Amino acid sequence: MSIVRANGVDLHVEEIAPVGEPTGTAVLIHGMTSDSMASWFLTLAHPLAQAGLRVLLYDLRGHGHSERPATGYSLNHFVRDLDALLEEHWKVDGPIHLFGNSFGGTVAFSYAARHPERVAGIVAIESAPPTDAWFGRMARRLAHAAETIADAEAVLNSRPLIARRIKYTTTLLAETSIGVELPESALPDPATIQAIDRPVLCLYGGESAVQELASETERLLPQSRHVVVAGQGHTLLIKDPERVRAEVLPWLASSVHRLTPGG
Amino acid sequence: MHSDQTAVLADVDTMLRDVLGDFGPDAEIAMDTTFRDDLGMESLDVVSLAGRLQARYGNSVNFALFVSTFDVASVGDLTVGQLVHYISDSLDKVPAAS
Repeated sequence: MSIVRANGVDLHVEEIAPVGEPTGTAVLIHGMTSDSMASWFLTLAHPLAQAGLRVLLYDLRGHGHSERPATGYSLNHFVRDLDALLEEHWKVDGPIHLFGNSFGGTVAFSYAARHPERVAGIVAIESAPPTDAWFGRMARRLAHAAETIADAEAVLNSRPLIARRIKYTTTLLAETSIGVELPESALPDPATIQAIDRPVLCLYGGESAVQELASETERLLPQSRHVVVAGQGHTLLIKDPERVRAEVLPWLASSVHRLTPGG
Repeated sequence: MHSDQTAVLADVDTMLRDVLGDFGPDAEIAMDTTFRDDLGMESLDVVSLAGRLQARYGNSVNFALFVSTFDVASVGDLTVGQLVHYISDSLDKVPAAS
């Protein structure tokens, strides 16, 4: 396990080397609270490496094996962590493909709004750019998660084997300021989101309310492609990785092709 | 069980206990031990295990390929025996150094 210091915190990173002719670099960003890099590692990481991408993964601060500081959970902290990893640790040269699951997609859009020239494309699963509507939703979800901590504690005492996942989430919410800081984040100027002129693919679960945000994302990013996968909820990536791969890999091949000069 | 499988099981036992740390099982890890129900493994533990397998066996064991046949939902049903068989089969295919 590799732990590196970036933006003042210790972050857990992994890397999968490309197979065959290198076609670029992908960074895979997981979602909030109970998620970790494993969601990507077990679903899309290896197929992307097979497609020739250098695949970079990390656990967000407060998550997985990364450090869990008491404070420092605004959107800006998450974006600067990614920036520091790319600049100082991975030393990526050339535009990157950003993949984000849920809040991870929001980090991807936020990074792209800040550095559009460094991004080759974005794949967002059950996610949206950093808009007021999306952050309102996340705030309600965080508040709800905090309310269920008491129930979780009861489960924790009765089922030791599933205790660890719950413990991650409850500790994050109880011992850090993420529930307060993240909803209060300063959001980027919508004009900087509109300036992301790269290919964007958004996937949604047909049973999830996140697809209600698709029209706003389409308005901001008219080039974005939106696909709804029937029968799945917010956990689309881990519940139906087959379908996610079937949507992402051909799209990626065509967008890489478009980006290749004269190709 | 072949003697080489016994050796691989011993390796896997060590790696799993390293990965699980304080959460490791008190009981013996056997071929029919399951990742989720017996060991309480999280998906992130599978990532850590992948790193240790790579360090131990290098490219002769393609754990990435093995893992890609599972997904987050089914990786928990994996048994230690399935992994041990996969490792020993992979090692058998490596041409012996002369």
